[in-house]
Amino acid sequence: MRRFLAPLAAMMLGLFATPLLARDLTVVAGGGALQDHMRATLFSTFANGPVVDTAYDYNVGPIRAMVQARNVTWDVVMVEAPDLVRGCEDGIFERIDWSVVNRDKFMPGGATTCGAGAIGWGVSVFYDEARHPTGPANFVEFWDTQRFPGRRSLRRGARMTLEIALMGDGVPAAEVYKVLATPAGQQRAFAALDRLRPNLTFWTGGQQPIELVNSGEVAYAVAFVGRVANGIRAGQRYALRWPTLLYAYDSWAVVRGSANAAAGMQLIEHITNPAPLLALTRLWPINPVNQAVADDPDVRARNPLMMTNHQAGGLEIDTEFWLEHGPDLEQRFAAWLNR
Amino acid sequence: MRRTNWLAALLIAPLLLLILGSFLVPVGLTLFRAVQDREVAQALPETSAILAAWDGQGLPPEAAFAAVARELGAALEARRIGDVAQRMNFARTGMRSTLLRTARAAERLRAPYAASLVALDARWGQAETWLLLRSAGGPVTSLYLLRAMDFTQTPDGGVVQAPTDERLYRTLFLRTFGISLLVTAICVLLAYPVAYTIARLRAPWSSIALTLVLIPFWSSVLVRTTAWFVLLQREGPVNGALLGMGLLEAPAQVIGTRIAVVLALVHVLLPFAILPMHSVMTRLDATYLRAAASLGANGMQRFLRVWLPLSLPGVLAGGAMVFLLAVGMYTAPALVGGDRDQMVAWFIANFLNRDVNWGMAAALSAYLLAMTGAIVALARILTGGMVGARG
Repeated sequence: MRRFLAPLAAMMLGLFATPLLARDLTVVAGGGALQDHMRATLFSTFANGPVVDTAYDYNVGPIRAMVQARNVTWDVVMVEAPDLVRGCEDGIFERIDWSVVNRDKFMPGGATTCGAGAIGWGVSVFYDEARHPTGPANFVEFWDTQRFPGRRSLRRGARMTLEIALMGDGVPAAEVYKVLATPAGQQRAFAALDRLRPNLTFWTGGQQPIELVNSGEVAYAVAFVGRVANGIRAGQRYALRWPTLLYAYDSWAVVRGSANAAAGMQLIEHITNPAPLLALTRLWPINPVNQAVADDPDVRARNPLMMTNHQAGGLEIDTEFWLEHGPDLEQRFAAWLNR
Repeated sequence: MRRTNWLAALLIAPLLLLILGSFLVPVGLTLFRAVQDREVAQALPETSAILAAWDGQGLPPEAAFAAVARELGAALEARRIGDVAQRMNFARTGMRSTLLRTARAAERLRAPYAASLVALDARWGQAETWLLLRSAGGPVTSLYLLRAMDFTQTPDGGVVQAPTDERLYRTLFLRTFGISLLVTAICVLLAYPVAYTIARLRAPWSSIALTLVLIPFWSSVLVRTTAWFVLLQREGPVNGALLGMGLLEAPAQVIGTRIAVVLALVHVLLPFAILPMHSVMTRLDATYLRAAASLGANGMQRFLRVWLPLSLPGVLAGGAMVFLLAVGMYTAPALVGGDRDQMVAWFIANFLNRDVNWGMAAALSAYLLAMTGAIVALARILTGGMVGARG
């Protein structure tokens, strides 16, 4: 009997002890093929212990609940700029330890209190040249249904869509946020959307605009440039209109109260370094926030479809504007959509 | 007898505690968030106290200006400012930048604060700003409950309708209940003959038929809804077949319409209507039908006056089940519906996960819960007479 009891007791103890054991360093990003490549080049090359990675849908509600419940199971998270700023103000993310992470390697604005720049992303007008030999080259032409007949697709949501609507109405990119901050400018944006609405289809998931254009359901769409670029690399005849680019940067942040915060900082230092990032650029046209990698002529020449090569004429999405006007404009957009 | 009662109570106590602890208390706490208002009082306790004592005429005393500058600076330092900034910005767009600007400048500001704050941001010179801060002092607020019904509060406390271009939620509630009732009606009409047929089948066939009803549960709702998306799209198999047979001249646009939403919901929820009906019908005593026949009732009369009233509890249970589930669905409308087909649940999820505005999420949930409860209760009362008549 005793022969059975001892292992059984040990097993029971083991069951109870498991939660007390150290959890593997957990990094959370947006999933998909990009995360597979990041696992291969960034996470697996981290020297200080194993890294587990998991995907999330960029919803920060669960992170907030995790911190409030003091049961933090994620350590390093890739977050969008507005979520980073608000999470930092609320103490949802740790302050980055800039003695561990080298702050000088980032592009301007890439190193903030709670975030270290990860990668850039953007949206632009694209269409299938196999179906349409020519298409709109800017947003004014995107709005011109006489010259370019056919359905258009934009993202369902106020962010990016209202900027695009103003540019479609002829507002220069540099003045978009100044105009959109005024009630008259907001009216103007919604009026522009009203005009295009008979020809508009809205998408929600990032792959949808690609499928809408592939199936001919819409003629011209605004989509994530990374996905369009991958389509082109896979042989699709997409025309990607870079002058219509709107872009932003995601950042790496450490969840507050993480038991692995120190290791998290070391991981962030590692995955923002040139060597692993250069390996990643061979697999995916990322837009690094590491200045040396972004400036690397070899990387740029090898990836003509990299956003970094085209972002000069684009509009950077204004984080502070959307933190302030987001709740109001998103509701008005939803109300407009339902009218 | 008393002793057995006591014993019975003891036996069900664990279950009661479980329901209380894992269901009633969390739901109650969540609903309480719809009225809870503690962000300002927590981050700016002294300012709140001074404003509570202020008569609301003109501008508040210098002490309020001094307190708000100091406490905002401290909140920024302690990283507690995000919540209060979001709370005030929700009450009035633009307050976020005012509060953050003040917090960042707090160390540089000098007395008299009434002058230096106004110089920094003109909003501090407006009585409205201070009235807003005072009304957010807690402990409870009607802000979220009003907003969730498209009302808004004026600075002096009056309640007015939100501007036309901001009204949203009343439409959403009406649509949610409209779609849910339609789906419930279709499910009940489709499920009744199926449940009847299965209940009348002989031994091996009835279990086989029941298994077929249950098979869709093996895949997730998301998969089943996505399947509809694949089937119904412009170049999908349904359009392809109809075009091929010459029934259509151009592909029909079904995805992005109300029809697609209703179709997907009916498909997902149909088993929930069949199962309760089936379980009631299998327990019905067939001798009643024979008795009715022996008394001269024809087939129609036997169905209408015996079978239908007896099976009504199952219809009611199945209908209520489908309705309750339909009200809370948001994956199907989001996937196959169009811009005018979104339901309340989608907005609740969005406020919870994306905007992290738990007050709005709780307020919308509270209304949804109350209205759904009222509709189910009404259905019980209206059909109560019929169901009770069998006794």
